[in-house]
Amino acid sequence: MMSILAAKIRLFIRKPWMFVITSIICIFIAFIIGTANQDKIKVPVYSSLSKHETNELLHSLQHSDLFAFQLMNQEKVRTLVSEGKVEAGVKLKKDDFDLIVSSQTANTSLIRQYVQKVYREKKQTEKIAEHSNAPLEEVAKVVNNATANPVFTLEKKSFRGKKAIIIDSQLQPIFGFSLFFVIYTIAFNVFQILKEKREGIWDRMILSPLKKWEMYIGNLIYSFVVGYIQVALIFTVFHFGMDIDFHGRFAEMLLLLVPYVFAIVALSIFIVGLVKNEQQFNAIIPLISVSMAMIGGAYWPLEIVSSKVLLTLSKFVPVTYGMEMLKGAAIYGNSLNDLLYPISILFFMGVVLMGIGINLVERRNV
Amino acid sequence: MMLEAVELTKQFKQTKVVNGVNLYLEKGEIVGLLGPNGAGKSTTISMISTLIPPTSGDVRLNNKSVIKEPSKLRKVLGVVPQEIALYSDLSAKENLQFFGRIHRLSGARLQKKVDEILEQIGLTDRQNDLVKHFSGGMKRRLNIGVALLHEPEFIIMDEPTVGIDPQSRNYILETVKRLNEEKQMTVLYTSHYMEEVEFLCDRIYIMDKGSIIASGTKEEIKNILSSENTVEMKVEKVQEPFIDALRLQPVVNHVTVQDRVITILAPKEINVFRLLFKLAEETNTVFTSVEIKTPTLEDVFLHLTGRALRD
Ligand SMILES: Nc1ncnc2c1ncn2[C@@H]1O[C@H](COP(=O)(O)OP(=O)(O)O)[C@@H](O)[C@H]1O
Ligand SMILES: [Mg+2]
Repeated sequence: MMSILAAKIRLFIRKPWMFVITSIICIFIAFIIGTANQDKIKVPVYSSLSKHETNELLHSLQHSDLFAFQLMNQEKVRTLVSEGKVEAGVKLKKDDFDLIVSSQTANTSLIRQYVQKVYREKKQTEKIAEHSNAPLEEVAKVVNNATANPVFTLEKKSFRGKKAIIIDSQLQPIFGFSLFFVIYTIAFNVFQILKEKREGIWDRMILSPLKKWEMYIGNLIYSFVVGYIQVALIFTVFHFGMDIDFHGRFAEMLLLLVPYVFAIVALSIFIVGLVKNEQQFNAIIPLISVSMAMIGGAYWPLEIVSSKVLLTLSKFVPVTYGMEMLKGAAIYGNSLNDLLYPISILFFMGVVLMGIGINLVERRNV
Repeated sequence: MMLEAVELTKQFKQTKVVNGVNLYLEKGEIVGLLGPNGAGKSTTISMISTLIPPTSGDVRLNNKSVIKEPSKLRKVLGVVPQEIALYSDLSAKENLQFFGRIHRLSGARLQKKVDEILEQIGLTDRQNDLVKHFSGGMKRRLNIGVALLHEPEFIIMDEPTVGIDPQSRNYILETVKRLNEEKQMTVLYTSHYMEEVEFLCDRIYIMDKGSIIASGTKEEIKNILSSENTVEMKVEKVQEPFIDALRLQPVVNHVTVQDRVITILAPKEINVFRLLFKLAEETNTVFTSVEIKTPTLEDVFLHLTGRALRD
């Protein structure tokens, strides 16, 4: 079995292009879609305050995930608003601000709320500083610390229940596209079994002292490892290269890939057992992977799907459980215990499909 | 050491592709299995080498059935498949190393064996080239080399020279002869080229439509034709009436026409020349030459089946 793995690795090194190209495409697409959704709403700002005060306020304003405040002159702000290029502008004043709008929208009230909050916090800090004679920066630090580590926390989890929806527009495409692209990588490698059977290489192995199970396990382990490395690599690029922290659960991500990759290896051998030749395989793989990705919520989050039919179909697709696991851990903050359901479904699918798949491949004369 | 097939039969769906084949190989022989495409040669070989189970019949090594327990045979058997069963993205050397390792060779022993085989098949200079850059002949040679790694006593070759140039073909034929003479390797050589079988083999089986239709030494098989002569006539122009007239003669067997060469089989005791010249004159046929030829295996096949060996 080691000899099979060694040969496969040598073949991989000789022809890594498919692996490299799918990885790059996947990273590229996930990146584009992730950042496209990530664009903040532009809010132009002008100020009647001193440079120092303006900068301080702007600095506080920049903590928003939603809005990007940009300083410019009054003329420019008014033109942008009146031409409808932005929804609202802000004039910063000492203890108050003006919102410049041409019409009321959902975003204008969100902007108002946000700026109000920043002003309130600023005033709070200043008040404490007045009474305590401490320098302003020190107070700000203490206040910030206190907000970050409150004395009481409310356990909100139980209230969120099933209905709560969080859509992370950055992680969604990273998870979705890596789970989608890796299907190709794995299926292509598992397909080599059929190719080697047809070319007579398999017969040569049968005639050697190698055992049948070594032949299957050798090939399947290799496909597993290549698939696993691909997704892990993509996650790693996003984690270390683009500073995406997976909400602090990067290690769990790498662990949770195991059941998914296993299920896809099993699905691939099952498909290999069904097809008659390479043309059929090449036609069926995009069909299956694309529909699984659509149904399983790899392209768009399942949370926004309401069709009963689609949701029922999604129960039969490994991608669904893969997404559920990864999002469950990273976005919803579920514990490993909470994820036991999708994990066991994936292992179950894997074992069943692999059993049937190997039988089908064995039974067929190629 | 003796390997034999007893009443081997293989049925796919409704059709019997191999039908009651009996065949044996004795230590040190080169045996030919000759037959046209689709005769069932590869299927027979797959059954003998325990790759597919027979529908009925048996394969025996030293009188012991190997169907249930194939490992004894597999240890002493090398198989050269009809297709090129190699990794095309690995070099010749890497292919030999891989297949050597799965035969449990390693380290210095593997290295030595690989070098030795590269020498035998004349690929030492090209050992580091990828197989996909090889010519057809070189691939065929490596295909044979891989089957020799575990020093088998029997080697079964399935059409090892299909689709290659005459030079590579001669090289392979010489290699097979050498393996037999120097290593006393027992060879079952399958082909639809009668010259190859005639050149290499001590004994020959002729197969057609799933059955063995003749077997024995070259001489024994040709003796099947001892009562007949092969007459080859070259003509200036093939006249249909002449061919028709030939076919109507009870003493003339198997008329074949190829370009301007007409071949017939006729009993030895009859002087067929007089008849031929008479028919030629009646149909305005002009001979450029007429000769009696010693029979070939091709003629035997023609005699037995009424068809040419090659299409
Ligand atoms: N797996 C199979 N299923 C059905 N028919 C087969 C199979 N393998 C071979 N055949 C048929 O058996 C016949 C003999 O094939 P084969 O043994 O390859 O002949 P040869 O090697 O003499 O050319 C052919 O007609 C072929 O179509
Ligand atoms: Mg054949």
